[in-house]
Amino acid sequence: MASHRIEESALSDFGHIPYAVPHMIHPPTTFTNQEGSAFDFGELEEAIVLQAVNETKQPLYAGRPAATLEMFPSWPMRFHHTIRGSSKSGEESTDSGSAVHTLSSRGEGSRLEPESPVGRKTDSSSDHRVIDQMHHLQLPQQMDMASGSDSPRTGMSQAQPVAKPTSEKRRGAGSNSERLLDAKTLRRLAQNREAAKKSRIRKKVYVQQLESSRIRLSQLEQDLQRARSQGFFVGGGGGAGGNISSGAAIFDMEYARWLDDDHRHMSEIRTALQAHLSDGDLRVILDGYIAHYDEIFRLKGDAAKSDVFHLITGMWTTPAERCFLWMGGFRPSELIKMLTAQLDPLTEQQLMGIYSLQRSTEQAEEALSQGLEQLQQSLTDTLASGSVNDSMHHMAVALGKLTNLEGFVRQADNLRQQTLHQLHRVLTVRQTARCFLVIGEYYGRLRALSSLWASRPRETLIGDDISCQTTTDLQMVQSSQNHFSNF
Amino acid sequence: MHYQTESWNSDHKPTKSSSSSVITDPLAHIERLASDNAVVIFSMSTCCMCHAIKRLFCGMGVNPTVYELDEDPISGKEIEKALILLMGVSSVPVVFIGGKLVGAMDRVLASHINGTLVPLLKQAGALWL
Repeated sequence: MASHRIEESALSDFGHIPYAVPHMIHPPTTFTNQEGSAFDFGELEEAIVLQAVNETKQPLYAGRPAATLEMFPSWPMRFHHTIRGSSKSGEESTDSGSAVHTLSSRGEGSRLEPESPVGRKTDSSSDHRVIDQMHHLQLPQQMDMASGSDSPRTGMSQAQPVAKPTSEKRRGAGSNSERLLDAKTLRRLAQNREAAKKSRIRKKVYVQQLESSRIRLSQLEQDLQRARSQGFFVGGGGGAGGNISSGAAIFDMEYARWLDDDHRHMSEIRTALQAHLSDGDLRVILDGYIAHYDEIFRLKGDAAKSDVFHLITGMWTTPAERCFLWMGGFRPSELIKMLTAQLDPLTEQQLMGIYSLQRSTEQAEEALSQGLEQLQQSLTDTLASGSVNDSMHHMAVALGKLTNLEGFVRQADNLRQQTLHQLHRVLTVRQTARCFLVIGEYYGRLRALSSLWASRPRETLIGDDISCQTTTDLQMVQSSQNHFSNF
Repeated sequence: MHYQTESWNSDHKPTKSSSSSVITDPLAHIERLASDNAVVIFSMSTCCMCHAIKRLFCGMGVNPTVYELDEDPISGKEIEKALILLMGVSSVPVVFIGGKLVGAMDRVLASHINGTLVPLLKQAGALWL
């Protein structure tokens, strides 16, 4: 900084002086090492200032006005020294808010007076040289004060500043250029610099965090977009095993398109509910939504013909959905259970209807599960048995048994489809609409959960980062899917 | 659940050539079998979907009459063929309730979900709750 540079150059001028009075001044090793010195420039400055004061009053030792002056960098002397050569401005009043300002504005002679040198001026001859130097600084001032003329300095009026050095110095800032570099001001300047530096660093860190969050957000959105258009997490299972079959790939694409349609339907239903459309209009929209679901079941049926494993292992869904998968899709009885909490209030008849729906889906699920179990058992028997000779035969038998898988997936989808239809029959139009919104919302969140899980930080990170990221992610999910409050 | 193996022998007519069908009118035969009991299931012992449908009815507390076509050496094949004609795609399982055709697994499930199966069963006397 400029002031430092000045300080450096100024230091060189004083290189041979161990800062005025030797035993009383501790040359500060660092700029901040200004507190607690027994004597430092604060005192020196003080003394110099007081010297000026004392021109008018007699005592040389005025005592320090305040302890704040103890902390003091060694500027003032040097400033005086350099300025003396350069600035002849008679400028007295100035803000001493910055060293540079003080530098440029001090036209004056220093207020700095070594207390002790002054004191010793008359006492010690060993300090004479030093004191002479000091006097060199002070002298013009004194001379000005005394006679108002000094060769290096002209046009300087000391009277006013001199008159009240102490009070100005105490204020620390000021309209006056005299106390510019007093301890308090300089410390404050240093503190300001430090604070500003810290603030800049904090701001930089914050901006960096914002930037990285923004990038992550856009990456997440891209991933989501890409996953939608290409099929979910195909690389996880199918990719690892090899190429995904064409039937599966086709289905994945169609499913992605279906999901987009689903979004559209959901928005439509939501808008219709909020707009309080008539039941007739709402029914039309709901019928459309049911047809939308019929569509996906049809697509799944076609896919089951070409790649039943793709469906039944859930490779077309997100990992979280896969976790809850039952026979290639959602479990209808679980869906009913999830909905009953959201369906209040229901009439007696509706309650009965929902209850029996739940019971029948549970029974159907149980039956299908047992059938599938028997299939697995039979397949195991086929693969385990048989000698080497008729291994081909057994493989053929096993293949034949595998074809039954398609039947089970189809029946399971049939069950799902029937469940949705029955819901529509049991509930009123508005209740059905709310139901569908709940279902869509629920699966949307489940899919989002998969995305979040996949993008969660996996390495050991600083705790702040993790919580920061998670919070950001959760806020994203909440803001985009906070529709339950519509009910 | 009771398995029938004997009762359809009465429909067998003595034949001169073995190439002709043992049962003259399989469909009528099926119909007759179906009306004998409240719930009649045509099944095969190796068929897993048949197993599922049997479990469904048993789970509901129904006691269906089951004809395992693969265990009937005489007329099993005939009935199977007739069922394929009747149902279109697959032969088993096929369910009759109260003598009336309900269908295969998908129809049975659909009627159970939409609440029509239980009244039908009650009407046929297969359920008493």
